[in-house]
Amino acid sequence: MIVGTRKPLAEIQGMVAGARRLLVAGCDTCVAECVAGGRREVAELSAALMMASRMAGRQVEIREASVDRQCIHEFLLEVVEAAQGAEAVLSLACGAGVQALAARLPHLPVFPALNTQFIGETAERGLWLENCRGCGDCLLGLTGGICPISRCAKSLLNGPCGGAVGGLCEINKAKKFDPEVPCAWLQIYDRLSALGQLERLTVLAPPKDWSRGEAGGPRRVLRPDQRP
Amino acid sequence: MREKPKVVILACQQALPDPEPLLQALEAAGLTARAVPEPCSSKIEAFHLLRILAVEADCVRVLACPEDACLLKEGSCRLGRRLKHAQEYLQEIGLEPERLEVTRLNPGEAVDLPRLAADLAGVALTLGLNPGRRRVQEKEPQK
Ligand code: SF4
Ligand code: SF4
Repeated sequence: MIVGTRKPLAEIQGMVAGARRLLVAGCDTCVAECVAGGRREVAELSAALMMASRMAGRQVEIREASVDRQCIHEFLLEVVEAAQGAEAVLSLACGAGVQALAARLPHLPVFPALNTQFIGETAERGLWLENCRGCGDCLLGLTGGICPISRCAKSLLNGPCGGAVGGLCEINKAKKFDPEVPCAWLQIYDRLSALGQLERLTVLAPPKDWSRGEAGGPRRVLRPDQRP
Repeated sequence: MREKPKVVILACQQALPDPEPLLQALEAAGLTARAVPEPCSSKIEAFHLLRILAVEADCVRVLACPEDACLLKEGSCRLGRRLKHAQEYLQEIGLEPERLEVTRLNPGEAVDLPRLAADLAGVALTLGLNPGRRRVQEKEPQK
């Protein structure tokens, strides 16, 4: 799923300052799971914006609408309808959802209320971890299901680097993490050991073709069998 | 006539099964008060707290059980975290976080109502009217 976090209220207020009628639009899938952009968070933000605007001497009419996926056009109908009469839309979806909504509302400004962070996993209640960078050429089959691109601070393909101490990545010395970041390559070792596949570590991974990831320009997937 | 500050009480039914005497004491102290009975404080979300403040209240007080006496084990503890989250929003808006508070009451024990009412009235009267709250002349928002 996509993990996001809310922008500071002052930044959001600055974006929507000119609007007297505002639609606040949530997305009830990824960003609801990470407690940043579902209907509850829409309600929180709307109440906060209402109070903040009154305190600034302005009266703003706020509508709320949430759909299951803002990134899929068919799901957007309800939000597009609710946007009628609005002067601006504040989307609590990830960047993909904000853009899909903006594409359906060519005459309305659509602003992001969240900072989209990463593709991640809910590791524990209240803890989301980045564990995929969408590199376009997945290596998980070689690394025991643990991604070295996103979980190793140096994205090493042939780790570990030698800087790990007590099972922890040396990035913990440079930056405070809570909980601390484990060494992904030690995790890969442990996992392959448990699977009885340690011999995989004797095979050197060749240089990676990063052009299949974000280094290769805008990416797209085209499925002729699915085209209209 | 000057508008009286309004307090909304969200009362866990284990902590305070009958909030009526408290409401009367608050009204006698110069406030307007309303109580919402809750099956457990765990049912209260941050957006409920913020919405109540935005729509009708100058102060909101949650009456909950102590964290280790919660009927639903973690409910009261979660309420505490949600309340903190809502208070952080208030700080961002520039409103006093004390407008949203929790008081822990031991379930099954007699409540010192005069003391609770005096505490609540003290906070509400000191903070005064909530400048972020909808006032009567404002239109109801569309759903
Ligand atoms: S818009 Fe973004 S957050 Fe919402 S479902 Fe799509 S990918 Fe997930
Ligand atoms: S190897 Fe690439 S595709 Fe696979 S999990 Fe890691 S970043 Fe994602």
